[in-house]
Amino acid sequence: MRKELFALTVVFLIFVAFPASLWGYQAWRTNAGDTRVIALTANAPATGGWVPDTIRVNVGERVRLRISSPDVAHGFEVPTLGIRVDEILPGHVEEIEFTATRAGRFPFACTRWCSVDHWRMRGTILVVDPANPNPPLPTFAPPLYQQLKVDIDAMHPTQNTPTQKPSAARGALLGIAIADDLRMKSPSDVFTKLRADAMLRSYTDLQLWDATALAWKRTAGDTALARGQKLYARDCAACHGESGQGDGPAGRNLPGMRAMDATMRKGPADFTDAAQMLGASDVLLQGKLLRGGMGTGMPEWRSLYTDEEMWNVISFLRSFVFDYP
Amino acid sequence: MTDTRLDLTRIPIIKKILASRWLQWSLVAGTLPFFVLAILTGLFGTPAGNRNFGIVFVWIVWWGLLMLVMVPFAGRFWCAVCPIPAPGEWLQRRSLVQVHERGKLFTLGLKWPRQLNNIWLQSAAFLIVALFAKVILTTPFVSAVTVLIFAGIAIATSLLFERRTFCRYICPVGGFIGLYSQVAPIEVRVKDHALCATHHDKACYIGSEKGYGCPWLIFPATLDKNTNCGLCTECLKTCTLDNIALSVRPFGKDLLTNKGRRLDEAYRSLMMLAGAPLYTIVFLGPWAEIKEAAYAIASPGWWLYALGLLALTLVVVPGIFFACVALSKFIARTKASSRQFFVEYATALLPLGLGAWASFSLSFVLVNISYAWQVISDPFGWGWNLFGTANWQWTPYLAGWQAYMQIPILLIGLVAAIAIAFRTTGEQRGSSQAALPIVAFCVAFTLVMVGLNF
Repeated sequence: MRKELFALTVVFLIFVAFPASLWGYQAWRTNAGDTRVIALTANAPATGGWVPDTIRVNVGERVRLRISSPDVAHGFEVPTLGIRVDEILPGHVEEIEFTATRAGRFPFACTRWCSVDHWRMRGTILVVDPANPNPPLPTFAPPLYQQLKVDIDAMHPTQNTPTQKPSAARGALLGIAIADDLRMKSPSDVFTKLRADAMLRSYTDLQLWDATALAWKRTAGDTALARGQKLYARDCAACHGESGQGDGPAGRNLPGMRAMDATMRKGPADFTDAAQMLGASDVLLQGKLLRGGMGTGMPEWRSLYTDEEMWNVISFLRSFVFDYP
Repeated sequence: MTDTRLDLTRIPIIKKILASRWLQWSLVAGTLPFFVLAILTGLFGTPAGNRNFGIVFVWIVWWGLLMLVMVPFAGRFWCAVCPIPAPGEWLQRRSLVQVHERGKLFTLGLKWPRQLNNIWLQSAAFLIVALFAKVILTTPFVSAVTVLIFAGIAIATSLLFERRTFCRYICPVGGFIGLYSQVAPIEVRVKDHALCATHHDKACYIGSEKGYGCPWLIFPATLDKNTNCGLCTECLKTCTLDNIALSVRPFGKDLLTNKGRRLDEAYRSLMMLAGAPLYTIVFLGPWAEIKEAAYAIASPGWWLYALGLLALTLVVVPGIFFACVALSKFIARTKASSRQFFVEYATALLPLGLGAWASFSLSFVLVNISYAWQVISDPFGWGWNLFGTANWQWTPYLAGWQAYMQIPILLIGLVAAIAIAFRTTGEQRGSSQAALPIVAFCVAFTLVMVGLNF
């Protein structure tokens, strides 16, 4: 009988105590003291996206996110809180801690092209001040394209297309100074103004385009271009293509394209199309980035990019039509 | 004729271990935690199969051990340590170790239907699992539920029917383990049949205070093949005449006799044979469309895949083999029935099939076994790192050598199959040329496997 009792005890331990010890270990491991632990699952958008997609925390509360993925590799970033995890591999758990110091809504997103609908994979961290749980909604100045009434859905062709790719390096040899606020004007506008300048009559069209390219490069600066290139590679290249020709694999067969106006380009914008890109001002491009849409599935980036990041990306986009050394 | 067996019960320590009532309980108690962990991780762990203990340990580690070690070298040893029927058997016995009331079982004692006194049901269960294999083998939750269903059926049959009815007639794995265990160099057999004939207490079948009657519903005196012996060693405990031995023997000894060959087993060996290239295609092949179809259950592609799988395993491969058998019979000019020819020649398919499955399993295991290091440290995919191996990278082992390891395995199976085919022809007293169609079938099959793997 004692032998039987021993055997029964061992089996009981296997069936009951063993599982209990596993859960106990997990509870002990994830116990973070005063830190609140929140499990966040990164599913591909087709199977649910972020779960939960809204995380409510208090101002000053220490929070540890335990992020896991059941399907493919994802990334996680809350740009406005400066939190990011570059890689969440299936079956792994990545942890990140933060303390929100101000109330507000902080969007987060997947930063890896996890699937066709990757750009839909977004969520919000809602930071609430317990002392003031219902603050008035913040007010924002309307974006530049609205202030300037720029129609970002209209075609914006240039009348003056250069015969070859304008070169900032060649432009540097010319010594032509351009004082315009380049964000407000398109390269075509700047070129037209230069061409009309009697002092510059001796320069060829290509030389004036070279001077224009140099102006855009100098205004951007090398640091901004490098940052913009990284952001483009991470967020844009999947649809618009590595070389900017609108031929990225994720941009094929976008659902909105079938309903688009027959006169419009089908698919993601081709940033190497000088006729369109040189006719677009930075403000117009910013508008497209801010709002997204365009009937193709182009996501909005207003909630994820800082102003600086937005301008960095736009500066980099110019490198597809301007030759930057 | 010289007895080539080595009776392990002559070694005192082994005999003592085999006679101990703790033996089987200890073995099952050793596998039970892995079983429990596999179920828990399947139900509650990460859905990412390659990071889930349930998937990696059941379908890579266990499968590799089963097909590359246990079946070829220890026959049905897995059946002796399998935790799935254990709870049902303990309930049936109301005991885990000791023997109650001379081996009395607490069950309704229903008789298993005579029509199902074969392995057709096991073959059907295997086919059902095979149809959904791509999902079962890669989706932890489905895998765990599938294993739980087997465990539930095992408990229910233990309470309703006598002894290990589940293992003998239902378990989809047991069917082919039994067939291929005939190759293994280990056996439980009666030492002296004459002694059994004059011995009337038959404790080995009905049980005694020392042990239970054969759980596998076998009268040990009639054991001449490993097919239905679960190596539970109960008969070694109950035999009052010390007339049962656990022996080491030459490989494939059971294949040298055509006595007691059955149609259900012959057909199953053909189903298994067809399954090896199919699994190679679905799990190792480069054809993404087939893999996707196998995964997308109930999609039009899956129906096509299911139809193809059923047609190949049930009709095409058996049909081609039957045509070869018919040709062989024509060459032999014998009056033996086609069924007899079919059943006897099918014996040749056992080493051929085992070689094919071992070849597939070797490649499958070498490619995937490195996932085991990750899940040992983090079985649930919850971010643990118990042994510091959670972040070890996936690495296919011996990638450049797999082909050189698979070819000898396939060739050993082929040579054994050819030898058995000629032996079968000899037993039927036909011309040795009669074996040629069967040999051609075996060679063609081996070439298909070689082509799929290289």
